[in-house]
Amino acid sequence: MIEAMTTDEVHVTVGWEEEGENKGGNGSGESGKSTIFKQIKLLFQTGFNEAELRSYISVIHANVYQTIKILHDGAKELSQVESDSSKYVISPDNQEIGEKLSEIAGRLDYPLLIKELVHDVKKLWQDPAIQETFSCGSIVQLPDCAQYFMENLDRLAEADYVPTKEDVLHARVRTNGVVQIQFSPVGEGKRGGEVYRLYDVGGQRNERRKWIHLFEGVNAVIFCAAISEYDQMLFEDETKNRMMETKELFDWVLKQRCFEKTSFMLFLNKFDIFERKIQKVPLSVCEWFKDYQPIAPGKQEVEHAYEFVKKKFEELYFQSSKPDRVDRVFKIYRTTALDQKLVKKTFKLIDESMRRSREGS
Amino acid sequence: MASVAELKENHAVATAKVNTLRERLRQRRQMLLDTDVERYSKAQGRAPVSFNPTDLVCCRTLQGHSGKVYSLDWTPEKNWIVSASQDGRLIVWNALTSQKTHAIKLHCPWVMTCAFAPNGQSVACGGLDSACSIFNLNSQADRDGNLPVSRMLTGHKGYVSSCQYVPDQETRLITSSGDQTCVLWDVTTGQRISIFGGEFPSGHTADVFSLSINSSNTNMFVSGSCDATVRLWDIRIASRAVRTYHGHEGDINSVKFFPDGQRFGTGSDDGTCRLFDMRTGHQLQVYSREPDRNDNELPTVTSIAFSISGRLLFAGYSNGDCYVWDTLLAEVVLNLGTLQNSHEGRISCLGLSSDGSALCTGSWDKNLKIWAFSGHRKIV
Repeated sequence: MIEAMTTDEVHVTVGWEEEGENKGGNGSGESGKSTIFKQIKLLFQTGFNEAELRSYISVIHANVYQTIKILHDGAKELSQVESDSSKYVISPDNQEIGEKLSEIAGRLDYPLLIKELVHDVKKLWQDPAIQETFSCGSIVQLPDCAQYFMENLDRLAEADYVPTKEDVLHARVRTNGVVQIQFSPVGEGKRGGEVYRLYDVGGQRNERRKWIHLFEGVNAVIFCAAISEYDQMLFEDETKNRMMETKELFDWVLKQRCFEKTSFMLFLNKFDIFERKIQKVPLSVCEWFKDYQPIAPGKQEVEHAYEFVKKKFEELYFQSSKPDRVDRVFKIYRTTALDQKLVKKTFKLIDESMRRSREGS
Repeated sequence: MASVAELKENHAVATAKVNTLRERLRQRRQMLLDTDVERYSKAQGRAPVSFNPTDLVCCRTLQGHSGKVYSLDWTPEKNWIVSASQDGRLIVWNALTSQKTHAIKLHCPWVMTCAFAPNGQSVACGGLDSACSIFNLNSQADRDGNLPVSRMLTGHKGYVSSCQYVPDQETRLITSSGDQTCVLWDVTTGQRISIFGGEFPSGHTADVFSLSINSSNTNMFVSGSCDATVRLWDIRIASRAVRTYHGHEGDINSVKFFPDGQRFGTGSDDGTCRLFDMRTGHQLQVYSREPDRNDNELPTVTSIAFSISGRLLFAGYSNGDCYVWDTLLAEVVLNLGTLQNSHEGRISCLGLSSDGSALCTGSWDKNLKIWAFSGHRKIV
């Protein structure tokens, strides 16, 4: 009557990074792990059918409202606080539109994004003050999908709009529970095809110590760290640097007794954003990386900076792992969750690695 | 309109003021507390409870879970037990025969709590899915032999840590959650009737981990939290807590009303159990372990229960100990963890049968055990 847990199922827990408080879907700080979930669905499952794609319309529209509100409110705040405040003052023609959109976006239920509203959003988006605010997106807690959706506004508001896979990958929605997905990187039914179950626990915004031990026995923990966030502050505490928070979290997870024998996969995620940012914002703004010395501008710098960050995580891993845990598997992967090919390749590598360690045991 | 900086400063000033007032309150209470239960009882010459190691024995080991046991609950009338495990299953046991009558596969395996409905026909469970699922034990199993969920109570924004049906009311259930609130649900409609805490002030300021409804007055319940406080709630007035109880120095993992409904007990990460007076808010007694000789990490209290009379307090600990405390004299009269046949891991949950004749303990060693008073021993 009671079947034992089948041993050819591999349970992996997706690690987490702090997510912003989300009344009405606001907030940022996603490490990209739910994007990875969507990629998995696209790569290793049947993908999204039309009904599922359509189900994302309200989320995407919500993201549009949230983005423009963050920009509008952000511009207003910066115009009061910053020394050269004038550049954040929204032009008189757009102020009324701005207030209206901000009010709409503050409601619990958003109206459908129709042509008239899109026209207003576009007008506001193009306001120099808003553009100025956008350029310091890190300060105002702007989600990464902001630019993508702003640049596709017309398409999003069409009457017969069906979101593309790309749109869905960019969409941001917060869950409260645990998201679960089952897949096989090699292909279900194929010989040697391991079944993976992935659990995303990022939706829990509470005391992890009270439930983390539920995961004792998973084969691996995937920890997603958005390396592009070295200059950003937490949504819920603007005095705290996100990278420092990630560092503390990673350290904490490594030390948990329930993961003594568990393999760790570290995804250094959002490499694409990291690549662009490193040219403008020095790594050393983050306390953990304060001893970083740049070498030369351009591609070389990106690689150099990435290796530096990777080394910091490696050092942290070994510091936080007691001697009796040295034989646990630890692998680092450079990822860009939006890049489907890269995600596919990463999971194939993980699959090989997990196989090897299971055969060895 | 005040700037962000001004608001932050006002907030800091207000917080400091609250802390000062709180400290003054604490000192005032200290002054008024002239004695505790232990000293009073000893002064009265109360005789200790006499307990032999053979008075309480393990008479059943319920094996069947393939993962850690996290929660258990007895039926109010018959001797059935429902248990929840990390293996993603609820099992319903006949405690007398050890037979498993139901094995329910859960959609979300991360379950943290389970409870029997008053009529014994349904069970509820909840966990990391942030929802409470109700199963009717009489419903038809599907093709795969699984019981369907008859109702899902959704709305919490964090894990469900504990759930309890309102005694004698099949349709009302209270949950506690990692989202810092407790909720009263109407099981038939799935609607939230009241939310305790959250947006309203006087709610908990951290995860709520446990709750206990007063069987003498089912309008009242207490909740214990990671904010180290217990709060008393009146179901009819959700907007504010009736009272907050301070004293513990760590997460409160378990709260239970004392049989007379005038007091309640608590168990905490700070390694102690405490007894509080519901009406006055006074901390009546602290039950602290002797420090470990080996100076290991202090075992935490995971779960508690009172005997029928309240003379005994059962406390399960993270290191597998299960102390039987004499509540009056604050002495440990028995440690079930050292008896024959004891658990081999953390005690995660425990509960007394409704007639008080048996104690069931659940452990991370994947088993449940039933302990019964043997021989001439009367139920205490």
